[in-house]
Amino acid sequence: MGMSLIVKKVTQFVIAIIFVFGINIVLFGHLTPGGGFAGGVILACGFILIMIAFGKEIALRKVRKHIGHILDSGAALMFLALAMLGYAGGIFFFNFINQGNAFYLRSAGFIPLENIAIGIKVSASVFIGFVTLVLFGRWVDESISGSDEN
Amino acid sequence: MTIYLLCILLFVMGLYCLVAKKHLIKKIIGLVILDYAINLFIVLIGYRPSSSQPGGIPPILFKDIDPAVMSREGVDPLPQALVLTSIVIGLGVLFMLVSLALRIYEKYKTFDTSEISKLKG
Repeated sequence: MGMSLIVKKVTQFVIAIIFVFGINIVLFGHLTPGGGFAGGVILACGFILIMIAFGKEIALRKVRKHIGHILDSGAALMFLALAMLGYAGGIFFFNFINQGNAFYLRSAGFIPLENIAIGIKVSASVFIGFVTLVLFGRWVDESISGSDEN
Repeated sequence: MTIYLLCILLFVMGLYCLVAKKHLIKKIIGLVILDYAINLFIVLIGYRPSSSQPGGIPPILFKDIDPAVMSREGVDPLPQALVLTSIVIGLGVLFMLVSLALRIYEKYKTFDTSEISKLKG
């Protein structure tokens, strides 16, 4: 299943670099260009690379369908919970975490945490959309070939 | 005016693919190129040419740049922030278009629009 041996070996080398690069863009979103959405798309492309190189059965054993759904909804709830906690300061979406020195990693309040939530949500939803289209295409193929036999 | 030439070229190419091709997937690719051309145009509207740096000053605060000077002479970051939502909308529309194309293929067993247009019920 999947592609040839060279593609599988090169994917095993390269996939760790892609994941670390995506996490770097998500985590430093308040200092460098990028942020939640761009890093989430890079992580989703890493998952799609696993699925293309190894075939869909092995990829779906690693990241199951309901895990993607749980991650997607859980990250959205985390975003909403961080916004609701602003009521401790009196205003909705209030930046209540201590804002440290500028240009450091631990600064700008709760914006790094929001970036992490958006990154998880975008990567999970793009990968689940891709899996749905692949399975839908396979179902269309089987139903067409089944109706031709009649 | 010369910075908008690429936008016009991409727009014309996407429109040609959308109108003149008969295969359904090629029409979808043309629509995606059209979307990229419009997003690039919206980002390029906020460009302010600067005399000190050729190519404009990026809207990023470093340690030794005065924030007032950067907000006055740097490239406008507001169109870039609004284009992010536009890119996400384009992604959602692409997912829906591919699902519709798969459904049409299941019903008519072809992607050719000149055969699909003969309505068979």
